[in-house]
Amino acid sequence: MGATAKIFSFPLSRQSPVGLLVLLALGIFPLVSGNILYVEILILAVLYAIFAMSWDILTGYTHEVNFGFAFFIGGAGYLSGVLNSLFFFPPLMAIPLAALTAGMIGLLIGYLTLRLKGPYFAMVTLAFAGILYKLAFILYKITGGEEGISGLKSLTAGPVTDFYLIWTVTVGVYFLLIFYSRSKHGIILKAIRADEDVAQSSGINTAYYKIEAFAISGFLAGIGGGLYAHAQMHIGPTMLSGTISVLVVLLAMIGGMGTIVGPLLGAIFLSALNEILRAVEAYRIVIYTGLLIVFIYLAPEGFVNLPFVKRNPRAKRFLLGKEEYHEPSGSEKHF
Amino acid sequence: MDILIIGMVRGALYSLIAVGFVLVFSVGGILNLAHGTFYMLGAYFTFIFYSLVFNSPGGVLLLSSVLLAAASVSALACLVYYLLLKRKIDSHIYTMVMTLALALFVSEVMSLLFGVSGTSVPSLVEGHLSISGIKIINQQLIILPIAALILPGLWMFLKKTRTGQSIDAVSQQRTGALLMGINVERATLITSGLSAGLAALAGALIAPVSSVVPEMWLFPLIKAFAIAILGGMGSLTGSIIASFVLGYAEILTSFLIDEQLTEMISLVVIVFVLIFKPSGIMGYKQG
Amino acid sequence: MSLLEVKSIFKSFGGLQALRDINFSIHQGERVGIIGPNGAGKTTLFNVLSGFYAPDSGSVLLDGHDIRGKKPYQVVNLGLTRTWQLVKPFLGMTVMEAMIVPSFCHRARAIGTSSSRQKEEIVEILTKIGLGNKLWEEVDNLNQSELRLLDISRTMITHPKILLLDEPFSGLSRKETGNISQMILELNRRGLTLVIIEHRLKELMKLIQKVMVMHFGEKIAEGTPTEMVNDPKVIQAYLGERKSELGLA
Repeated sequence: MGATAKIFSFPLSRQSPVGLLVLLALGIFPLVSGNILYVEILILAVLYAIFAMSWDILTGYTHEVNFGFAFFIGGAGYLSGVLNSLFFFPPLMAIPLAALTAGMIGLLIGYLTLRLKGPYFAMVTLAFAGILYKLAFILYKITGGEEGISGLKSLTAGPVTDFYLIWTVTVGVYFLLIFYSRSKHGIILKAIRADEDVAQSSGINTAYYKIEAFAISGFLAGIGGGLYAHAQMHIGPTMLSGTISVLVVLLAMIGGMGTIVGPLLGAIFLSALNEILRAVEAYRIVIYTGLLIVFIYLAPEGFVNLPFVKRNPRAKRFLLGKEEYHEPSGSEKHF
Repeated sequence: MDILIIGMVRGALYSLIAVGFVLVFSVGGILNLAHGTFYMLGAYFTFIFYSLVFNSPGGVLLLSSVLLAAASVSALACLVYYLLLKRKIDSHIYTMVMTLALALFVSEVMSLLFGVSGTSVPSLVEGHLSISGIKIINQQLIILPIAALILPGLWMFLKKTRTGQSIDAVSQQRTGALLMGINVERATLITSGLSAGLAALAGALIAPVSSVVPEMWLFPLIKAFAIAILGGMGSLTGSIIASFVLGYAEILTSFLIDEQLTEMISLVVIVFVLIFKPSGIMGYKQG
Repeated sequence: MSLLEVKSIFKSFGGLQALRDINFSIHQGERVGIIGPNGAGKTTLFNVLSGFYAPDSGSVLLDGHDIRGKKPYQVVNLGLTRTWQLVKPFLGMTVMEAMIVPSFCHRARAIGTSSSRQKEEIVEILTKIGLGNKLWEEVDNLNQSELRLLDISRTMITHPKILLLDEPFSGLSRKETGNISQMILELNRRGLTLVIIEHRLKELMKLIQKVMVMHFGEKIAEGTPTEMVNDPKVIQAYLGERKSELGLA
């Protein structure tokens, strides 16, 4: 009874102030600025936020690094594109279908890779994405090869409405993942991350939760991928490439793994940084990737996870919010 | 017949790349995702030394360029280990992501400096050989004796010299070696340099006959990993054998089935071995 | 019928025979100790009983259920929980969080306590065992003995029928050992069956009714503490150990 009440009530006081602020700011921005260009940049930023957050729920909470996230992003993007261009499914049908497929495949891959740890898990995920990438070229008749599929139906009438649709999804994904990560599922994942043996000897079916996280991660990435394809009205092999996979990893890591808020911040701020660097377009990519290295060096676990934040309760509260089992809530009886 | 020789050349090339990769994994416990980058820089640095620094033709200068390239990449790898990796080498995530970020960065730098279409490096040995009526490029051929010299040399280094033996000890059992007073950090440093040097040499040697482009770091890395898991992550002989297996598999696929599928092989190998037979490889290295 | 029935368990690793023809049964409510020199196979036995290793042959019957081949979490849900010799804590979580984890297992859920009552129970257990002031502390900050206490507390949330304790007193002070002994004796009074591996024989012998002695993977003796202390085979195995250390007055 208590559990259901918690799902439907909204513990505002427990949320991360920063997370809420950023989401709100994003929502207000197009109303304040008339610049369509900025809106299009924001569209990409929130899409990357979806990618980074869905990546985090698996890797941040189990510490098994998924290096092939492009598999779900591009895979669902292509699927949605094909459903749309070949079978004339409208985007609002194609995208969920593609995402569901991605989720189910995530279930399968999660199951197949259960026994793999560390570098092996990482490389197998990379390999899966690589295979899909190569297939995109080999099956060029369906996928359009190098050029991809163009002329996909757009999401809504214009960029601003597109943005608000995607923004709503991003907000939804954010809260879904926050609740998930704070629920029994998230706590169990953290336990698995800490020590799978002890989790097992606490009676937990660790395999189930790992697979579930993989599936959810894949599903949400698929939603993002589908939205991306229709926002750009085009899907090409870049969305299956290693570059996308690595970029998502970097955005989430620099933001702060295992927090959901961290990847959100990482995606938004690094996308902004990328745009600011357009001032020096010729060197932009080089400076950007160079800065990413500096950021990882300075904050190996991400900015939200900095030791400074961990030790400073106010900073921690401001960035991460209040988690149920981290502080007394005043309802425990004391002996 | 040509398949036999071409396959052998490819196997030899791969073994130069893979052996270092496996060594770093068993000694440092890390998956150095910048390994392919070292291979790439071997090619690019050769070009830089030959065309920009020396700026005059000549076989000797070319050879020196190759050697300088390998040496400088080696030094670079040591620097990377010392400055960036050593501080958090126990974290798989950190080392993998950091080396990957480096790979990306270097790739972009090369793209900026030399363009997306890459550069070209002249051959050390010109011309080609005709063996039973098939043309084989000499430049590719020399990889064979070079590998044949280096690999046993490496083996001797590891088994006979003091430094080599300490590296060998660490690769078997990190904690045990630590307890024996072996300087694990130094061993890892030397191994990083050595491994990168080999990869760079491979890159320099093959550069004249293949494309030197900013993306050339990715697939050698993937192949190195495929070879490593095929041959056993800790075994040097295993990886040499696996290099040839992969080399031949690729050549055969290319000739007999479809050239497009060659790149798929290493990917499929990784997926199949790790999913269906992880125990054979997994149990080997307990980090 | 016995609660735990172990028949002809064999387990080898590569060339090493870790367990050889282990047979014993434990009845509901008993307090059994397992002793033996290092390397005797005691922890390996625990790993087999708790599902972390599958035996090469033989059977393990828990309350009539054959648990051979079952995964560790399944064994826990059937009523057998174990602690760890080398403490493995849930780093990165708070003590409360760590204790909530076992409450998610089927067995604990089946009992049907509300989540707020569960939280209370956790606080009770932690306070009794001496961790009452560390509820919100990160596990990373606990010392060795606190971690051990946490490990034991964790097992109680799974409401086991039989609890396997692997060197619970290791690294603890006299007072702490006393606390734990009291706690598990009380749980035993309420019906919990205990199997304890220990090297600190003086403390162990005060707790248990029956002792099993292992050496080189075999069970070499079984009986009451007094019998064991006088058994020449046992003394032989513990060669060098003074008689007084074997728990004699």
